[in-house]
Amino acid sequence: MKPRHHLDDATLLSYSAGALPAALAVVASTHLERCAACRAGLLDADRIGGVLMQQQYVDAPTENARAAMLASLDAEPAIEPSAPPVDIVEEHDPDRLPSALHPWFGSSMRALRWRRVAPGVQRIRATGIGGGDLMLLRVAPGSKLPLHSHGGSELTMILDGAYDDLLGHFGPGDVADLDAETVHQPVTSPGVPCICVAATDAPLVFSRWMARTLQPLFGF
Amino acid sequence: MRTMALHQLVAEVAPSRAKRSVSPSANSTVPDALYWSMQMVAVATQRDRPSFMRIYDHFAPRLRCYLGSLGTHDAMADELVQEALLTLWRKAGMFDPSRASLATWLFRVARNLYIDHVRQQPQWLPIQKGLERLEEAELGRPDSQPESFFDQDILKQAIDGLPPVQAKLIRMCYLESRSHGEISDELQMPLGSVKSSLRRAFAKLQGSMRASR
Repeated sequence: MKPRHHLDDATLLSYSAGALPAALAVVASTHLERCAACRAGLLDADRIGGVLMQQQYVDAPTENARAAMLASLDAEPAIEPSAPPVDIVEEHDPDRLPSALHPWFGSSMRALRWRRVAPGVQRIRATGIGGGDLMLLRVAPGSKLPLHSHGGSELTMILDGAYDDLLGHFGPGDVADLDAETVHQPVTSPGVPCICVAATDAPLVFSRWMARTLQPLFGF
Repeated sequence: MRTMALHQLVAEVAPSRAKRSVSPSANSTVPDALYWSMQMVAVATQRDRPSFMRIYDHFAPRLRCYLGSLGTHDAMADELVQEALLTLWRKAGMFDPSRASLATWLFRVARNLYIDHVRQQPQWLPIQKGLERLEEAELGRPDSQPESFFDQDILKQAIDGLPPVQAKLIRMCYLESRSHGEISDELQMPLGSVKSSLRRAFAKLQGSMRASR
């Protein structure tokens, strides 16, 4: 199924520029694995990068640098071993997490070790990501989260299940790329838990968000 | 297989179209996308070193400057430039001018090396390879248009024509790798405004690329 909610163009630009905080980049990669439309947008953004790179004015390379380059060609083996690309599987295997999440959460949905953080809400936080905060969230079906907004940048992609808010229906592959100003109140769909991967650009912002989001409802 | 497709594609275009066109702003000679595609054919099919060094002489200093602007320290930037050009030498046969110009292709290689080596995001290179493989299946069909042969100058003009604030934000993204939050702090501009300015800039540039196809 094609995603209906996409990465914001400003997010695509930053991803292309290598300027997206690491946690947000993981969620963006997760969506790009599933979305041909965003991959086409990324190629356009990379073209902008290509032009800007070419406009950088500099001096010609030194003879030493040229000689070093030619010497490294001589040292090249005939066949170069290189890391194989990750195998991105487009058909949906319910147990297999998207490739971009493997370094942080492993590859199997079933093997995940959830921790309960509030009634009906479980979470796994990635450790050591550096830029920002990355987590998986599992929210019980039919739950209503309190009305909230976001302090900084936040990117969420649905892996399984669904929710609705004023922006529409979000199912597997859909990404919510929200402005700081957006106020919303997601309600998870009945049936299966809603599992999503969420990233924020700074841990502090997330803590505040978590507190604001869950405190009124769950009182902690 | 891809080498043959590239060869045929370039052969179909009249050689006189591959030229070193004069850029009005810099008053210097700037070779066009087709010229670079032909150098790549020579590297891919004949392992031609003079062609490779023409690519090196033009792009290595630009990549070096690009990586330096991202804050990569000198020794690392030199290493990544060499690594990017070695990647080109190894993978010249994979280059497909119907998907992207050589500038775009090299930008991707350098950006990916930067994220892998400097930002050290795990699995970045294999994930990008996986995404490119999907893109190849989508765009690399033999009947697709060699769009990169004619969109570059128009895109350049569109970038030069951006309103000052949008142009500044685009450069802070690409040439200083600042996040939206960092831009917002530095320019004392609300995060929402940073994002909406970037969105508008991207829409304009994308419009110029579409119009040129």
